[in-house]
Amino acid sequence: MKLTSRTRTAGDILFDIGNVVFMIGLMVVTLYPFANMLAVSLNDAMDASRGGIFLKPRVFTLYNYEYVLREASIFHSLMISVLRTVIGTAVAVFCSAMVAYTVSRPEYLLRKWVALAFILTMYFNGGLIPTYLLHKELHLINSFWVYIIPGIVGAFNIIIIRSFIEGIPDGINESAKIDGAGDFKIFMKIVLPLCTPVLATVALFVAVWQWNSWFDVFLYNSSNPKLSTLQYELMKILQTANGSSTQATIGDVLGGNQRGVAANQVTPTSIRATMTIVASLPIILVYPFLQKYFVKGMTLGGVKG
Amino acid sequence: MKGSHTRYFALALATAVLLAGCAKDNGAPSSGSAAPASASLSAENSAPPELQPATFTYFNAASAGKDGNTNETTLGKILEEQTGVNFRIEHLVGDLNTKLGVMLAGGDLPDVVVPDAGIDKMLDAKAFIPLNELLEQYGPNLKKLYETYWDQLPAEDGNIYIIPFAASKGFVPDMYQPGAFYIQRGVLKEFGYPKLETLDEYFDLIKRYKEKYPQINGGSTIGFEALTDDWRFFTLTNPAANLAGLPNEGEVYVDMATKQAHVTGDTEFTKRWLQTLNKANDDGLFDKESLVAKYDQYIAKLSGGRVLGFFDYGWQITPAVQNLLQTGDDDRMYMGFPLVLDKGVREQYMDPPVFATNRGIGITTSAKDPARIIQFFDNMVKEENQKLLFWGEQGKTYEVDDKGRFYRTKEQIEQRDPEFQQSYGFKYFSYYWPMGAGLYEDGNAYFPDRQPEVIAASYSEGDKKILEAYGLQVFTDVYHEPADVEERKWYPVWTAAKQQGSPEQMFEQKKMDLQRKWFPRLILAEPDKFEAMWEEYAAQFRKLDVKTYEDWANGVIQDRLAGKKR
Amino acid sequence: MSRKSYIGRLMDQKTLMLMSIPFVIWLFIFRYLPIWGWTIAFQHYRPGTGLWEQKWTGLDNFRLLFQEEAFYLVMRNTLAMSLINLVLGFATAITLAILLNELRSVLFKRVVQTISYLPHFISWVVASSIIVTALSIDSSGIVNLILMKLGLINEPILWLAEGKYFWGILGVSEVWKNVGWNTIIYLAAITAIDPAQYEAAEIDGANRMQRILYVTLPGLKPIIVLLLIMNIGNILESGFEPQYLLGNGLTADYSDNLDIFVLKYGIAMGNFSFATAAGVFKTVISIALLFGANYMAKRFGQERLF
Repeated sequence: MKLTSRTRTAGDILFDIGNVVFMIGLMVVTLYPFANMLAVSLNDAMDASRGGIFLKPRVFTLYNYEYVLREASIFHSLMISVLRTVIGTAVAVFCSAMVAYTVSRPEYLLRKWVALAFILTMYFNGGLIPTYLLHKELHLINSFWVYIIPGIVGAFNIIIIRSFIEGIPDGINESAKIDGAGDFKIFMKIVLPLCTPVLATVALFVAVWQWNSWFDVFLYNSSNPKLSTLQYELMKILQTANGSSTQATIGDVLGGNQRGVAANQVTPTSIRATMTIVASLPIILVYPFLQKYFVKGMTLGGVKG
Repeated sequence: MKGSHTRYFALALATAVLLAGCAKDNGAPSSGSAAPASASLSAENSAPPELQPATFTYFNAASAGKDGNTNETTLGKILEEQTGVNFRIEHLVGDLNTKLGVMLAGGDLPDVVVPDAGIDKMLDAKAFIPLNELLEQYGPNLKKLYETYWDQLPAEDGNIYIIPFAASKGFVPDMYQPGAFYIQRGVLKEFGYPKLETLDEYFDLIKRYKEKYPQINGGSTIGFEALTDDWRFFTLTNPAANLAGLPNEGEVYVDMATKQAHVTGDTEFTKRWLQTLNKANDDGLFDKESLVAKYDQYIAKLSGGRVLGFFDYGWQITPAVQNLLQTGDDDRMYMGFPLVLDKGVREQYMDPPVFATNRGIGITTSAKDPARIIQFFDNMVKEENQKLLFWGEQGKTYEVDDKGRFYRTKEQIEQRDPEFQQSYGFKYFSYYWPMGAGLYEDGNAYFPDRQPEVIAASYSEGDKKILEAYGLQVFTDVYHEPADVEERKWYPVWTAAKQQGSPEQMFEQKKMDLQRKWFPRLILAEPDKFEAMWEEYAAQFRKLDVKTYEDWANGVIQDRLAGKKR
Repeated sequence: MSRKSYIGRLMDQKTLMLMSIPFVIWLFIFRYLPIWGWTIAFQHYRPGTGLWEQKWTGLDNFRLLFQEEAFYLVMRNTLAMSLINLVLGFATAITLAILLNELRSVLFKRVVQTISYLPHFISWVVASSIIVTALSIDSSGIVNLILMKLGLINEPILWLAEGKYFWGILGVSEVWKNVGWNTIIYLAAITAIDPAQYEAAEIDGANRMQRILYVTLPGLKPIIVLLLIMNIGNILESGFEPQYLLGNGLTADYSDNLDIFVLKYGIAMGNFSFATAAGVFKTVISIALLFGANYMAKRFGQERLF
């Protein structure tokens, strides 16, 4: 921002210093869990179960990563994860923006009803089994498209984008209309480019949601390894490491406990830490990339002036 | 193989079926299609029709693990060579009820399902086929293995829907100790290896040791640690009945004279157990934090060597034990005792072999060729195959001495890493199939980790020293032999199935909520307020639907005594 | 121009209709059609049995829900934790967005943004383990250590054993985990504020505080109001994982909320009907609250949802 041109008062400087100190404090607190995960993931699992690992590993090893990367059919599932994230995000952002545009048009007679129809869906769902049966009827089971089609438009996204579009000065649209541009053209040529910050925000939300999803894999595609995603594969490894500990079954208690599982070289804790790093690094990197769309906003003034 | 005539006949038939199969492409279970079959044609041992390659799907809701094909493992390959059958295994990853719910609602069932606690759902939806005739026709070995339990297999309608696991013959104690009050070996050494019998003696020892050594490994000594995290809370509630010399039946104990079940929640022994902990807390021996800590913290504390005592089951403390073993300080290792409240009471910590009829494996209505599956099961329970599945191959994963005893060399014992367990196939076949347990006909233990030779070979120097001090062979020798199964034909009540959302299930959940709330408070209370608080708790406990629950438990006992399956 | 009929005017909006109606159809199929599943709430549902062969139980499942003694305690906790999260969540995220906006170095700002949203990617299992460790009375419990160093307390407090601290601990944990993430939307909204407004304010001699109060905050108001209305509709969703993982028997009277209740007595028992009944109850309350909040916003002349 170019607001710094004016001479800074003593109060300003004090504020700035305080602000920076606060931000550093915030970073320490919010970086800690990740740093801690990193340290645990790079530490020998059995040793880590003794506790007391904070910021640096005590007994360094790469074994946890080796184990996780070997056990997860990582490359294929990573590809599926990337595909669903990229396609899912692109589709969701474009379609949500389109609906948002229509419900932002004051002259659109159906605007209120369309908006309400979407908004209500934020507060209910038919439940697991009816949804499953629907997807089965639509042949979405055992299919990649079950990751995309049920999520093409989100009510929340529509509301956020609509609010942003409504902030665009009317003059822009009006002048385009006079020039003879249709709604679709205005949407594509004027609204979309002006909305980049909010589209980037929505893209981030959708991408993170897509990337982290594993429940739909569990419900619909669990028996088809070709459609498994990274999160689901990691979930499997975690539960395997948990062994009988997540589900103490009668079988485990009566049938010789963890026969054959002994000599844990990995523990649920170490797997979880490694998984956190492996699964979240790629998606975390999306944000810095999107950030360049957040500092804009000048465009608005530009068009207007 | 039989005579050569049969062989040629089989070959001709196999070819014919193969061609027919190719032409029709009807998606029959012989999905292996041309490639493997033609391979077996060229092999010197041709495949009779029942050896046609077939792949079935197997869903395991009882444990997590790596998904894959059994024939990708050494053991699975051997079984495939014997039967032509391969299983594609899928493990449950998320919530059991959710997964079974959508599977049943959508009708997309795998061929074979191990539904774990979801068994009622499966039966309710009539998703399993009756196996009676198939067993009659194709299951001679299964019948032999399950002989003693055969009358317990049918459901109320007389049909057999599931085959339970682990039909025991002969008793072998577990390598892991069942429930025990553990105490540091350093404490025992300090006081000359006393034989511990009562809870008071145990806490007395801990108190004296803690006074003498207020610090261990640079931290303050912790007298007694509890495990209360989430579902592991049972570790705090279970000891009560054991302390009274009763076996663990779950929420009830059974009066042997009247065969009547009574709930344990408000009994005198539960009260005395909590009061002892209350006193320990007042003496500064109880670690308050263990009432809010997670399992990870619990393991970390035990691994740190500062905890003098705790109650637990062997299988919940393996990581801590391994850590302690690695530090090499045997004084910080543990030894467990089956304690009682009053001197002279005979303890019953160790379970007799239990045949759980409400867990097992079933064939679903979606299975295209159930006969092949039963044949596979029948083949796998032959004694030589059971030895193969649990011990592996002689010379590779075990040895036999001149007296016919099985043992494992140091290297073979150490082949326990998950990759080997997986690739060899031990992992896939370790449980959750029709199988036996206990002893083989030749007297060897069914499972290597129950064979005394194998157990003894895995003991450390410290283990040997303390076993000698107490004059024991293995650690489980501290327990009395479990009572005769015949005397407690119903044992244990807790394995009986409960209907989803039934009053007995509601009772257990409410009881759990109540005890999770009150037990920690009772432990932390000022000693002079304990009585009043206990009364308050007991009053609330009695407000629960105790009668319905006891009636249910009595129903289970009576039915099981009458030889009915529950 | 003569006045056209409604249909006639609608026909003039073909493009807008083409751009929205297909998605409304999609919405109907994927979101509204499965509502038939609510019938499960009035049955004793058993999966694998046809819908019309189920046993109908009328309002039994709802009765079970409302007659349960614990229900009212659970509702109190749900509302309390939701409100705390709502207020704390809004206040901290907006404050952080404004403070970030005031940073002079763009690079520093981006670094802070990226780092502060990291905890959002840590699962609650991991986060709760870190929280439990930080609150420990042992030597690893940094909270007690600091408070003792500062002389605020004399001996370590077992924070997680006291019900009265639970809501506070939960609120702070939620903020710690999600403040960076929640800020993103406000940062996007700030970009929409016309820079000319800042310049004008500066020319008028507004100081930094005044610029925040009279330019930034009003610029954020529409989105704040929208999010507020939406979140009021969600008041019965107070989360479930953190309560489940941080709670224990000693704090259960404060930590058990509606979702945990439904989990224990519905889902964990495989009782789909009970879980569905609770879902229907939540929907009814949510939609009532949503309309209420929207109406209030309208009354006060604010931005509204529909």
